[in-house]
Amino acid sequence: MAATSAGRVLALCKQFHNVVRISSTIPSQNTGICLTKSSLARPNLLAGAACHICPVVQCRPLHTTISRMGLEEFFDLPDNWGESTVKSGAPWTVTLLRSKSNEELHKLWYLLLKEKNMLLTIEQEAKRQRVSMPSPERLKKIERSMQRLDKVVEERETALRLLQTGQEYARPADWRRNLFGKVVWHRFREYAIPWYMNATYKRRRFYTPSFVKPHIRLRMEKNLRTRARQADLEKKQLAKLKEKFPQMKASS
Amino acid sequence: YPLYQLGNPQLRLFRPNWALTLVRPGREQPSDTVQFRIPMEMTKCDVKNYLEKVYSVPVGAVRTRIQFGSNKKRNHLNQKVKQPDYKVAYVQLAQDQVFVFPDIFVEKSSEEGEGSMEQMQKQFMEDEKQRQRGDPRRAGVTEWFGL
Repeated sequence: MAATSAGRVLALCKQFHNVVRISSTIPSQNTGICLTKSSLARPNLLAGAACHICPVVQCRPLHTTISRMGLEEFFDLPDNWGESTVKSGAPWTVTLLRSKSNEELHKLWYLLLKEKNMLLTIEQEAKRQRVSMPSPERLKKIERSMQRLDKVVEERETALRLLQTGQEYARPADWRRNLFGKVVWHRFREYAIPWYMNATYKRRRFYTPSFVKPHIRLRMEKNLRTRARQADLEKKQLAKLKEKFPQMKASS
Repeated sequence: YPLYQLGNPQLRLFRPNWALTLVRPGREQPSDTVQFRIPMEMTKCDVKNYLEKVYSVPVGAVRTRIQFGSNKKRNHLNQKVKQPDYKVAYVQLAQDQVFVFPDIFVEKSSEEGEGSMEQMQKQFMEDEKQRQRGDPRRAGVTEWFGL
């Protein structure tokens, strides 16, 4: 969000949720192949609101015009060009994100995405010019915020799915025994034909043949051996320490 | 991606996880061409829609290529180290628009504040130089000799 500092505050400020209420009246238009119209809705409620909560937020005069030149948003605000550090707030936490509505999360996702694109552009240009990037920790913050947003959305989706259909997982899966004697969580793939018409699928074996038994036995022996060795080692170390420090309490 | 069969609805992606990086072109490009590094899974149509929807940039044409990352360099253990492959997209803007890659890392002339670090450092360096210089009355003759 190069041109609008409102978006910058939104993307990175931790405590601003008390101040900002993203207007959810802008309808999202689902046209074309892939993407919905992003959160070009400027949070006009930010204008005039004092950033008194998060002291790290850059209190710049906020404006709410939609940026015309789209490619400018791939770069930082021109005031920040040439600075060695750029101030930014804390990343979004899970508790904060859970308090937001779905529309707000949707818009926040696009803000974070644009910020991430901007930071990646700056990083690449810094590598090109052989100069250090100003405040590289912003990338990590954005990455973590996006992961947490994903987590929250997934939680909501699973809850809805459980209530509506009783299914725990979106993708069907099951416990299956594989060729090596291990029971694995096999996630199903999507096919156009049923499994009994699929020749390659029928060649796959979801049982353990009898000639694998010696291998399984050897594997078990190996596991037991390593575990026994580990336990012995720990006992020896404890004994050595006890010899050196007799008053030592038995710790793990 | 979910399976597509004739009559299925158009595939729609909400909250795409694809990050685009605007890069400075290595070779001279026409003035309306913008160069991006995109994730390998994206296609030309994806790039076009992404830019149009998320950034509202009018896109004319998109051409992509995959850049092979070298596997030639070796580390201190003489193992080959692979540089990751990446996809490059050349986007031509519509409506006769022109894009110039800006100079982001222009050196700003820093004004020395009163108690600032730069001021103190400069003063210290000047003091050191002053100590190194000999007596100005000897006009550059070394003090190693007597008198």
